[in-house]
Amino acid sequence: MRNEPLLGGMAQSAVDRETPLLRPGNTNCGGCGMSNLLQMMRRAVADRPVQLVIPACCAAISAGAFPQAGLGAPTVLTTFASAAAVATGAAAVARLNGEETRVICLAGDGGSYDIGFATMSAAAERNEDILYICYDNEIYGNTGGQRSSATPAGAVTTSTPGGKVEQKKDIMAIMAAHRIPYAASLSLAHADDTLRKLRHALDLRGFRFLHVLSPCPTGWKSEPALGMELVRLAVRSGLYPVLEVFDGRRHQINIEPEFSDEALEMYLSLQRRFQNTGLKASDLRPAIERHWLNLRVLSGRIVPARRETR
Amino acid sequence: MHPLGNSDSTNGVVLPQGTDLPLEIRVHGRGGQGGVTCAKLIAALYARMGLAVQTFGDYGSERSGAPVQAFTRVDRLAITNRNKVYRPDHLLVLDAGLLETPVLAGVAPGALILLNTSGAPADFGARYRGYRLATVDATDIAREQGIGSSSVVIVNTTIVGAYARILGLPLQLLEEVYASFGVPGDLAAARLAHERVRIQEASADGASPENAAPQAPGQAVVAPLTAPAQDFPIELRTGLWSNQSPSYCRYTPPCNAACPAGNDIVGFVQALKEQGPEAAAAILLRTQALPSVCGRVCPAPCMNHCNREAFDGAVNIRSLERWIADNSQVVLPKLAALRPRRVAVVGGGPAGLSAAYQLALRGHGVTIYEAAPALGGVLRYGIPAFRLPLDVLDRDLSRILDLGVKARCGERLGPAELSRLAAEYDSVIVCTGFGAPHQLAVPGEELAGVEQGLPFLDRVKAGSESVSGHVVVVGGGNSAIDCARSALRLGAASVRLVYRRSRQDMPAIDEEIAEAEQEGVRLMTRRQPVRCLGSGRVAALVLAEVEQGAPDASGRCRPVVTERTTELPCDRVLLALGQQDGLEPLLPARWKVDAGRAWSEGQALSVFFAGDCATGEGTVTHAIGNGHRAALRALAALEGEEAEELEGDREAGATQRVVAPAQIRFSHFEPDPPGRDRHLPLNQARAGFQEFNQGLAGPAEAERCFSCGQCTSCDTCLVYCPDGIIYRAQDGYRIDLDHCKGCGMCVAECPRSAMEMKDKALPGGSR
Amino acid sequence: MKGQLLSANHAAALAATLAARANRTGRGFCSGVYPITPSTECMEFLCAQQIEKGRVVRVESEHSAMGVCIGAAAAGARSFTATASNGLAYMAENCVAAAGLRLPVVMAVANRTMGPPWNIWADHGDALMLRDLGLIQIYCADNQELFDTVLSAFRLAEDQRVLMPAMVCMEGFILSHTVAQTEIPSQEQVDRFLPLTSVPQQLGSTPHSLGQIELPAQTETHRMQHHQAMLAAETVFEEVRGHFADIFGRELQGALVPYRTEDADTLIVSLGTMGLTAQRVVDRARERGEKVGSLRIRMLRPLPVAAIAREFAGKSRIAILDRDISLGFGGVLWGELARLAQAPVVQNYLAGIGGGDVRPEHLERVLADLKGRRQSGTPVNVEAI
Repeated sequence: MRNEPLLGGMAQSAVDRETPLLRPGNTNCGGCGMSNLLQMMRRAVADRPVQLVIPACCAAISAGAFPQAGLGAPTVLTTFASAAAVATGAAAVARLNGEETRVICLAGDGGSYDIGFATMSAAAERNEDILYICYDNEIYGNTGGQRSSATPAGAVTTSTPGGKVEQKKDIMAIMAAHRIPYAASLSLAHADDTLRKLRHALDLRGFRFLHVLSPCPTGWKSEPALGMELVRLAVRSGLYPVLEVFDGRRHQINIEPEFSDEALEMYLSLQRRFQNTGLKASDLRPAIERHWLNLRVLSGRIVPARRETR
Repeated sequence: MHPLGNSDSTNGVVLPQGTDLPLEIRVHGRGGQGGVTCAKLIAALYARMGLAVQTFGDYGSERSGAPVQAFTRVDRLAITNRNKVYRPDHLLVLDAGLLETPVLAGVAPGALILLNTSGAPADFGARYRGYRLATVDATDIAREQGIGSSSVVIVNTTIVGAYARILGLPLQLLEEVYASFGVPGDLAAARLAHERVRIQEASADGASPENAAPQAPGQAVVAPLTAPAQDFPIELRTGLWSNQSPSYCRYTPPCNAACPAGNDIVGFVQALKEQGPEAAAAILLRTQALPSVCGRVCPAPCMNHCNREAFDGAVNIRSLERWIADNSQVVLPKLAALRPRRVAVVGGGPAGLSAAYQLALRGHGVTIYEAAPALGGVLRYGIPAFRLPLDVLDRDLSRILDLGVKARCGERLGPAELSRLAAEYDSVIVCTGFGAPHQLAVPGEELAGVEQGLPFLDRVKAGSESVSGHVVVVGGGNSAIDCARSALRLGAASVRLVYRRSRQDMPAIDEEIAEAEQEGVRLMTRRQPVRCLGSGRVAALVLAEVEQGAPDASGRCRPVVTERTTELPCDRVLLALGQQDGLEPLLPARWKVDAGRAWSEGQALSVFFAGDCATGEGTVTHAIGNGHRAALRALAALEGEEAEELEGDREAGATQRVVAPAQIRFSHFEPDPPGRDRHLPLNQARAGFQEFNQGLAGPAEAERCFSCGQCTSCDTCLVYCPDGIIYRAQDGYRIDLDHCKGCGMCVAECPRSAMEMKDKALPGGSR
Repeated sequence: MKGQLLSANHAAALAATLAARANRTGRGFCSGVYPITPSTECMEFLCAQQIEKGRVVRVESEHSAMGVCIGAAAAGARSFTATASNGLAYMAENCVAAAGLRLPVVMAVANRTMGPPWNIWADHGDALMLRDLGLIQIYCADNQELFDTVLSAFRLAEDQRVLMPAMVCMEGFILSHTVAQTEIPSQEQVDRFLPLTSVPQQLGSTPHSLGQIELPAQTETHRMQHHQAMLAAETVFEEVRGHFADIFGRELQGALVPYRTEDADTLIVSLGTMGLTAQRVVDRARERGEKVGSLRIRMLRPLPVAAIAREFAGKSRIAILDRDISLGFGGVLWGELARLAQAPVVQNYLAGIGGGDVRPEHLERVLADLKGRRQSGTPVNVEAI
């Protein structure tokens, strides 16, 4: 198989980071997408020195209970809204001292779309030397599953028992509008895509934003085993566009969806959070189409870039 | 404080006899199982009896699967105790896996323990004898009732049903409480638990005292936050969070299951990819006596079953086999038999050769008796050289003969000789193939120019045949196609092939049909010859149109011959209608054949039958598999043992273990159209008997194999394991089960269904 | 009088600048700043400085200003910020975090009334709101004192026995915007005065998390350790004063500023600039033959309990002034100190709440009222007596 072994067999090889970023024994839920992300981050980070800045969110719990370290890198846990500010300080000091340390913010959607939004936006506007990774599980997972502005319409959460009415924020457009050097959404289900973007973002200077759709079996009421499949379905259906934006101008679509309703229906049906609101693929399709029309214009390509593998 | 309840409370439910108040209840569960709600439900039950209750969870930063506790207190008076429960009177353990953690801390003898387990109370041994112990398989019930997800089953509402039963509480009470909690749908599960719970009373010899001590809160030395950075690795056995764990397994690939010869197709294709043709041949030759032959003429049912067919086209397995055979020199080492046997093989066709090969490989002495002047049977005399050049056949034959197989050609045997062989040899394997060809059985069949195809093919191969004029071939199998294409090469003005069913129903290899058409053979399907016309020599064939009738046992439509006919002028008619069973003339009197073995007067003889004479399956590959099996059977019979099965047979028997397309993660693979065989240019092909199909240009096609059900060390499990606890190992991967949370992502992501989730063995019996 | 003419805001910023430069051979300096009246001048001044191995980040909120400081300090750098009033309230969450993480961030607070209704003038209520959260708090009364205290706060906060954030307070406008001569030491002197910043728990390359979840028993122990560190700050401050005098040849005001208290039977106790007013009133009263003294509390956290009790011993009447009110209770300083006094009359006077000018006449009235009391009463507003 031409794509085997996966990632060219680099995982746990000499080019991988010697030790994990998320250690065995961590307390993340089984099948947590953020865990998957941290495994990929390990591979991308390799031998680069990194520091993590994590606001109050599930990843803060991944750090483990004092004094044990669930995360295999120096980490500071911040207040909910402060990740990008604290990272600013840490990154500035690293820069002042001529250190190559890459400071990575690892924040959820609540800490990015909502309470930490101003902080993140300001750090982006100042073009701080931060890699900001938003693992978006579309929910306040750490508090037990309340809606955030990243929760998609139609999803039942503990604070929207009848299903959320409002649309999810388009965070990529917002971050691109900051004209930061690099903003990208990545697909955890496409390990090569994830690795490439993480590596690229780690190597750039200035504010880099990565949006990661991160399955939450607990909040999405889905099978833990199916996390990656859900991401794949979100990508295939066009619901989750996988793209890169360079300097807020050049848009590049990385994975061309099939726009299949079958994938969309499957995506919805595998998550019980959508099941009581009667949400159907046809309800989502018009918005997806509008969004993609816009993305096509921005990317300057009316013709699909590359067919995603089936 | 005014007493809140008593034994004759207003709603008529009474506190069960022997329940002392205040009562303290502790629930142990995992995050996601609903332990806190369980404690609340129990509290609600008591509240309905008019008692004062209090219930609370022991909240932490726990995640789905992590151990959690919840408490309920019951009393007649309002409860002022705000402490956790350290000495519970009732202990509910929602997950037997938690018994590996100190759940029994503070539980005194005589206390009630209710466990969610598939085991019975007696399975838990002496340690639990001092308790009143009840067990119920709440997980099984809740899973059956669809409560929660398959990996995190919510058992709270189920186990409360069992609890109610132990205390003798009426189901009516549960109904009220479940309604008030908005979970009336879970009542069915509670009822089942109510029915199925098993209770064992406490025995006087008591619980071991080590259980009784409550856990003392830790007095750990706490380092200041200003201590210089120091790495304390996390120590948590998250492997205890789940009762399921993944493991690597070998499911049968559909190609292997479909191969009549029992070839390990995925095995040799992967070996070709990874290590090259020599390694692949070493696997192939274990089951395949005639790889060069089968790599050319096998109908390849493996390819029809290939899971890649549903994606972007089946892997060209036949031609990979050919590539391996044509590009390797491997000879399998001959083993030394513990008790060398002498075996006679009657018939040197594919079945006989396969039987002889397998026996010789195992160190036994074999003599083949062949009626024809040379070995090969249909391979030598029935398949034209443009499909199977003689040197290719001879290459496979010499590999067999090099093992020490003796061939006695030109010896046609009768019943007497067979009897003699049966006496002379330890065992005889009869592989004489089909008998006489079927006739057309229509008026005019006796006319000159109407003849059987097989002798025609034999003469063609011998170079003693010429053809002119218009030729009609009747039949739809490979022989029919071979006749047609041979006739074309020998100079026929036109060749038509008449077949009574549709093209899809033709038993010939699809590619061969297509190639015949390309060369100029015209198919006339749904036609049945009903008469040969001519005076002395055939001049025309009368063809009746055939309609499709009802499907027969094979699923093909029964042909219904109509009255509508046409005349097809022709100069020659070649019949390729298949052959009859050919065993009868060979069998001595009183011998009976049953299940592939000869019997005489109720005694099993050491005489076995294989290949078309026994099965009539009609393909080279079937014959090879059949010969192989007969050889094993014969050996086993001599040893008085059960015959060992071919690997493929064993796995194909368990059909659920064959990987279906739905079990392949197509998204993992990139579309890559099948590697096609190369062919001679048409004009060159039609001009002679040079091998038409030139096979693959290289072994790259092996890359396309999904390797269904067989791990290829593709790293997918390792890369997608959220907890990073899959490690490379000498032979594949190792899963750190101490830390595996049992999420199952590795299994779900495995592109080829080479992993599965298994229930862990739990205390008190495995689930 | 020698020295530069500087507002207190500028003096604070200049002290921070000198401290920042002093760490140029260490891990440098990084500060997050955000404007708010009446603290704005401080950040403006800082933003105009060239600081070798230093960076001042102009963030989008006070919350982030402290966030940057936390990040900088967690990376081992010296850090400083300034704010006031609602800005401090907005920053509060991260002030707690800085304290909880034991990060020696220094901040200058221009005390201002919390709004709405909006009011930009002086009130100690903003800083007092953070009294219990683990920040050292020192209140200043004039420009020089403020400069000296900000500079010294770095040495105090960064002392390895302390490692807690420190807040230096000045009343908004009354002090923050008052321009006066301020003696500014040379950089070389400051370099000698301030050791390089060392945050032992700083992020390096070791896997180690700052601020992770703790069990009750751990938090309990940590809280007690932080409490001990805060208590240690009182002693360490005395050492710092010694170093200060050695290097700069001047005296740094102590944790308490007693004025003519030794033989006094009556004390006026206050925070900040009101203490200087009180000293003037004490002088007048002494002229009248009244045995009055003033006790200005500089250090509110840690509270020098024993020293205050010593000052209170033998006094018969104590007036405790509060430019703040804890609604439903009374003055915060009074609440803190009353228990330390054995005097028959310990009376709380609310003065200058919302930025009103507290004049000697107010304090004269306080003395008169105090004299007329046989026992302590409920807090009274000086405008009402």
